[in-house]
Amino acid sequence: MPMTDLTFAMVGSGGDGVVTMGDMMAQAGASVGLHVMKVEAYGPQIRGGESSCTVRISGAPIFAQGDFIDVLVVFNWADFRRFRGEMVTAPNAVILYEESDPTPREQLEMDLGIGAGARWIPVPFVKLAKESAGTALAKNIVTLGLLGELFNLPQDALKRAISARFAKKKKEVVESNLQGFAAGVEFAASLNGRLNDRALEYTPGEPMLLMSGNEASAVGALHAGCRFFAGYPITPSSEILHYLSEVMPRMGGYLVQTEDELAAIGAVIGGSFAGVKSMTATSGPGLALMTEMLGLAAMAEVPAVIIDVQRGGPSTGLPTKSEQADLWQALWGSHGDAPRVVLAPADVEDCFHASVAAFNIAEEAQVPVIVLSDQFIAQRRETLSMLTLDHEVVGRQVPSAGELRDYRRYKDTTSGVSPMTWPGMKGGEYQTNGLEHDEVGQPSSMYIVHEKMNAKRYRKLRLVRDKYSFFRHYGPAEADVGIICWGSSKGPVKEAVMRANGRGEKVSAFVPQLLYPFPAHDFQRFVRGVKDIIVVELSYSAQFYKYLQTFLDLPDGHTFLFKRSGGKNLTVAEVEDKLAKVMEMGALRREVLV
Amino acid sequence: MSTTTVETKFKPGDYKSGLGPVWCPGCGDFGVLNALYRALSQLQIEPWNTVILSGIGCSSRLPGYVKTYGFNGVHGRALPLATGVKVARPDLTVIAVGGDGDGLAIGGNHLMHSARRNLDVTYILMDNEIYGLTKGQVAPTTPTGDKTKSTFWGNPEPSVDPCELAISTGASWVARGFSGDVKFLTELTARAISHRGFSFLNVISPCVTWRGDDQYRELKQKLQYVPEDHEASSRRAAVAYTREKDVLTTGILYHVHDQPSLVDRLEEVKQRASGGRPEPTTRELLERFFPNL
Repeated sequence: MPMTDLTFAMVGSGGDGVVTMGDMMAQAGASVGLHVMKVEAYGPQIRGGESSCTVRISGAPIFAQGDFIDVLVVFNWADFRRFRGEMVTAPNAVILYEESDPTPREQLEMDLGIGAGARWIPVPFVKLAKESAGTALAKNIVTLGLLGELFNLPQDALKRAISARFAKKKKEVVESNLQGFAAGVEFAASLNGRLNDRALEYTPGEPMLLMSGNEASAVGALHAGCRFFAGYPITPSSEILHYLSEVMPRMGGYLVQTEDELAAIGAVIGGSFAGVKSMTATSGPGLALMTEMLGLAAMAEVPAVIIDVQRGGPSTGLPTKSEQADLWQALWGSHGDAPRVVLAPADVEDCFHASVAAFNIAEEAQVPVIVLSDQFIAQRRETLSMLTLDHEVVGRQVPSAGELRDYRRYKDTTSGVSPMTWPGMKGGEYQTNGLEHDEVGQPSSMYIVHEKMNAKRYRKLRLVRDKYSFFRHYGPAEADVGIICWGSSKGPVKEAVMRANGRGEKVSAFVPQLLYPFPAHDFQRFVRGVKDIIVVELSYSAQFYKYLQTFLDLPDGHTFLFKRSGGKNLTVAEVEDKLAKVMEMGALRREVLV
Repeated sequence: MSTTTVETKFKPGDYKSGLGPVWCPGCGDFGVLNALYRALSQLQIEPWNTVILSGIGCSSRLPGYVKTYGFNGVHGRALPLATGVKVARPDLTVIAVGGDGDGLAIGGNHLMHSARRNLDVTYILMDNEIYGLTKGQVAPTTPTGDKTKSTFWGNPEPSVDPCELAISTGASWVARGFSGDVKFLTELTARAISHRGFSFLNVISPCVTWRGDDQYRELKQKLQYVPEDHEASSRRAAVAYTREKDVLTTGILYHVHDQPSLVDRLEEVKQRASGGRPEPTTRELLERFFPNL
């Protein structure tokens, strides 16, 4: 049976070029309108060490990394062993492995987790590369030819991707690599069509954009009008800094790599105070350092956008892997009562929109806004349509000429939002403060001032909740089981729900983009429409579940939790497994009730 | 018919915010504030085009007393805030102020990097050799051996000379002033604000509450000025006036003219990046993500 959806995984050491190979596959697929998702995983080494690249290619839209690897390419079994438990092969997977691997898999003396139904094909990758291209380095290119021929990948596009990759090198380099590609194709042909049943079936279409979540976050910020970025490098957020270091000056803006995260958030608050839309990007450890000044932005009511690309924690944790456990830090991190807004993009496209929404909210409500991205969406590359990437931009409310005559920066208004000047506006001078202050901005330690100003600052969150609550709802409004999740868990959950709906099961999902202020109304409506609830998250201590309990009446005996540590991306299979159990339990319960 | 000339448009008093300082009577910071009012007037700086930023401490209350845009932030972070303001808005006059604990202990890292970048900001560090607001603990500039609230047996640590630190980390203008000499301090403040690049003004500003009443008298006896033939462009000559014990030398210790400021460098990057072309639209930015095969 021809396939419409294939997941390829390549494993090797640094220098084997597995990531380069994945890049070229993704580019070739995107260029002919295929839907692609590419995920990389590394060991902690700076150079060398094990690396893997997974590319899912499909003729139809996809929402998650493939659960099961259909085609596994192993240059080195010792490297594969290090990803054990993270790379799961399909029962009928095709395994293409280097026949001259110095550590044959028999010597590993371990269960590789590859099922008995797998088809094993030894390939002389190194030999073919040396013979065709004159260097063992070309084995990834040989592999591209092999995969292209065996699985009906767009071969012309792959060849264009190879030529583009080596375009800056000598002509002979391009030529020899194309010979490597041809050698792979030829070897595939020698297998006498043994895998014809696994070829990808698709209809070519218009080229798609190929972006990572970090790139989408950065472009979204520029679209929103961000013209000042201050940041400190930290995995897995640094690509935002890298992209903006090139493009920000091109946009007429400025970028400073600061001495630490304290300086980064300080500079962002300074830039924004001065009237320029400003942003920083970091990960959990950096957000921890920024926490004091997050409170300053809340107190002084200065718009600020902070992107936190979550990684495994606490402390240094798992710098290159994803987790959803910065939630409480983002929601509650600060001393005092410090209002802020927390948004969570759920995929690459959403990273663009979340950046723009973050600036709109920050400017309109004069609050710090934290965007909780995570490594899984930030560093993967996926195909997008240009058409979906637009978003209305909102600016800051400045005082009228009349208001400037008796300017009160922190005027207590119905919405809580007071018009804000910036330097250069004559008559709009004010002194702002991390100290509690009155409507003019003068410091005050009086209880009545503190109570009134706390109320004013928190009142702004109502405006945000009413205007900016945005969520995704998949499946029917009335369902037997409803899944609630957030952020990057959306992909596998959505795919599980769509498959269940396809089987006629009444299952739905709710994924909020605005996490705080809590859009209780939208949550309650969803909860009322479902019989049983599953909360899904990658946090060992169940931060999201406990957060929901704070604001939401989750029915006893009807609420289930699927949570685990990050470090491994959530799969559709995990969600389906939990879903099946809860469905069964619900059916049993209904049987008893009848 | 008005006879007001441009020079007298803003009088020193015009820069007063109307808020009365919380400082103790006799505090050196009054002298710094008065010198700042006069310097701003001398330079005829427009209040609405000026931002004064600070951290936390007695001296960090200063922005509230000046009728410009002001920002009293959190402890140690005046310079990060100032970095953001100046880089985002190079057209503004930006002044950071604070004390020795704020700028040399908790915020010490930012002093080094602001100096290194030659950030086009004036930083006035009011040095009273003590933590005043928290009631008398040892500071990085407290002399070794001094008894304070937190050094019952005497300060066991050596102190730092802020000017030496600023010179060695790349500041392009470094001076020492004395709050008991407002006339000269006014001149130094005006020169600091006029300097393009990082100007660091260390003002010895005694704390009468925690360092005793005798300080002014003792300092006035030690006071001397940088000689006229001082070679301010020489780092070596400048450092000769640091770590002083028996004298207090005030004046411009170090001054180089030809260092590009951070803003100059970023403007150059901007010109090079844009090459005179218009800003790309979002669509153009996105189009770069089509596989270029």
